[in-house]
Amino acid sequence: MMLRTVLVALALLAQQIAGLPTRPDSVKFAVMGDMGTGDKPQYEVASQLSAAHARFPFDTVIMLGDNLYGRQEPSDFVQKFEKPYKPLLDAGVKFYAALGNHDAQSNPNYKPFNMNGNRYYTYTKNDVRFFVLDTDVLDPAQVAWLEKSLQASNDRWKICYFHHPLYSDGGRHGSSVDLRVILEPMFIKYGVNVVFSGHDHIYERILPQHGIYYFVSGSAGQLRRGDLKRTALTAAGYDQDQTCMLVEVAADDLSFVTISRTGATVDSGVIHRTPRS
Amino acid sequence: MMRALRFVLDHSLAVPIGAGVALIWANTLSDSYFRLALPTAFWVNDVGMALFFGFALQEVIETMVEGGALHTWRRATLPVVAAIGGSLGAVAAYELYVQSGDEQVLRSGWPIVCGVDAAFSYFLVKSLVQRKGATAFLLLLAIASNAIGLVIIGLRQPVMDIHLAGGILLIVAAVAVSIGLKQAKVGSFWPHLLIAGGLSWSGFAISGLHPALALLPIVPFFPHAPRGLDVFHDAPHSPHDSPSHFEHVFRVPVQIVLFLFALVNAGVLIRGYGTGSWAVLSGTLVGRPIGTLLSVAAAVAIGFHLPHGVTWRGLVVVAVAASVGFVFALFYATATYPVGNVLGELKTGAVLTAAGAIPTWVIAKLLREGRFA
Repeated sequence: MMLRTVLVALALLAQQIAGLPTRPDSVKFAVMGDMGTGDKPQYEVASQLSAAHARFPFDTVIMLGDNLYGRQEPSDFVQKFEKPYKPLLDAGVKFYAALGNHDAQSNPNYKPFNMNGNRYYTYTKNDVRFFVLDTDVLDPAQVAWLEKSLQASNDRWKICYFHHPLYSDGGRHGSSVDLRVILEPMFIKYGVNVVFSGHDHIYERILPQHGIYYFVSGSAGQLRRGDLKRTALTAAGYDQDQTCMLVEVAADDLSFVTISRTGATVDSGVIHRTPRS
Repeated sequence: MMRALRFVLDHSLAVPIGAGVALIWANTLSDSYFRLALPTAFWVNDVGMALFFGFALQEVIETMVEGGALHTWRRATLPVVAAIGGSLGAVAAYELYVQSGDEQVLRSGWPIVCGVDAAFSYFLVKSLVQRKGATAFLLLLAIASNAIGLVIIGLRQPVMDIHLAGGILLIVAAVAVSIGLKQAKVGSFWPHLLIAGGLSWSGFAISGLHPALALLPIVPFFPHAPRGLDVFHDAPHSPHDSPSHFEHVFRVPVQIVLFLFALVNAGVLIRGYGTGSWAVLSGTLVGRPIGTLLSVAAAVAIGFHLPHGVTWRGLVVVAVAASVGFVFALFYATATYPVGNVLGELKTGAVLTAAGAIPTWVIAKLLREGRFA
């Protein structure tokens, strides 16, 4: 009996994705940005996500903007969103979108993006609160809303995501310093732990800045091969293939694995939450 | 030192110097630049620029009063037609460019291409075409284009309904104060500026209208003296060279405001270009010259005459020189979008319109116009 239990446990362990504890009570989500091309690489990344879902049953996907490129008619939503992610949608996985510069302004009304008509919004998954921003136009009303929402949040983890990266070593766009000057002081003041962005079509993990972990994950459909210009800020990066991320938050640990279009792990790690005053 | 300052003022170099410093600063020490520029933007764009627009309107009014260079509207008709045609062409080209892509968020940015940098274009035409008729035509075209842009910006501001009545009441009170001062024959502009200006600025701010336009309703009641069109130079001992005259007192402060405006707004990141930048350039470099020339051609076809001293070749150079939007395009951009990626792209486009100097020079040379004759 005991041997059988051990064997089952070993079998389950073998099925897990290395680097992700896959605890039953944890918050599990996937991260993808700049994906909505409708081209083959987007479908291939989507297939990797579907395959990963079988071993790592995430119930949420956060979308970092440029969710659809080009024409955005109803048929495009099918071709560039509903078809590639059909297995996940069918499994009840919920997608939460941020707007990018290529997204139509009416996209917050598209139900499967779960934006409820809002350009910026917040939601929780257990003890993780997500703050979703529209960095195309960071109007004073949005900044005031963010400050109020961050201040009101007592959640253990505060995760922000939006399209334009505050830190990036992508050669094409790089860091959005004007946004950083406005947003980062609030992130520091109210204890934001992790920030995800896209826009640069690469993957990059930035060394922690003021205790905050920044990721650029803008290559789940688009790719600018060779565009990562590593600097002293770069903790890890990958610009040779499309990527997406799998993230698990359990108690004070956030584990992440970045996988490529072929399923190879290109980065992984654990972020331990240190409460900040 | 004083000679250098005089040279800067006489050649309207405050903007290029401010822009140059901003570009270098923003692209080398980005954090410190944006930490200074963003909090300062309100004081410069909403407060300081009110002085600039008041100053500009004062000059326009003085060219139109009896004895001024444009005393009759007739003289200004063709440049106004050119300004309308140029603005329509610029907006059409901007819209076409944006519509051809998928970045819908840029669709509200079309007023940006209505801006023509009067000082930059003036010096460009003056140095290339070297004919008074052409510089006068260019200045009028720039004034009319910017007036169109200001009206659009004014009308498109999100008016806050709750405060609208209170704001309008303050603006009406400001105008009433200014009319009262005019009727009392108060010779100084100071009471107008301090009392009526303060009321008007508060009214604009409360109602949600752009406060930079706050002096426009009251400047018509300031003390005026007629003037010519050489607005960038005033002869000593002219009526404008008097301590009670708005332009005399504010000529240097307005240049400082323009320097600061360029400093806090022109600092765009070199990698910050995008679809918005190309849309602005399409509007200004392609749409505006085409619209300007087509509208003037249509006006001439129905019986208008080109002004004295303006040839078709000169007009082509003027039309291309008017593609430089710079200060006005930057102002319209900041008045249209808040901080963000979109504003960054559009401001990059506004700064790049300075490159309009290159096709202007090339076309003047090809057409053997002015200094190339």
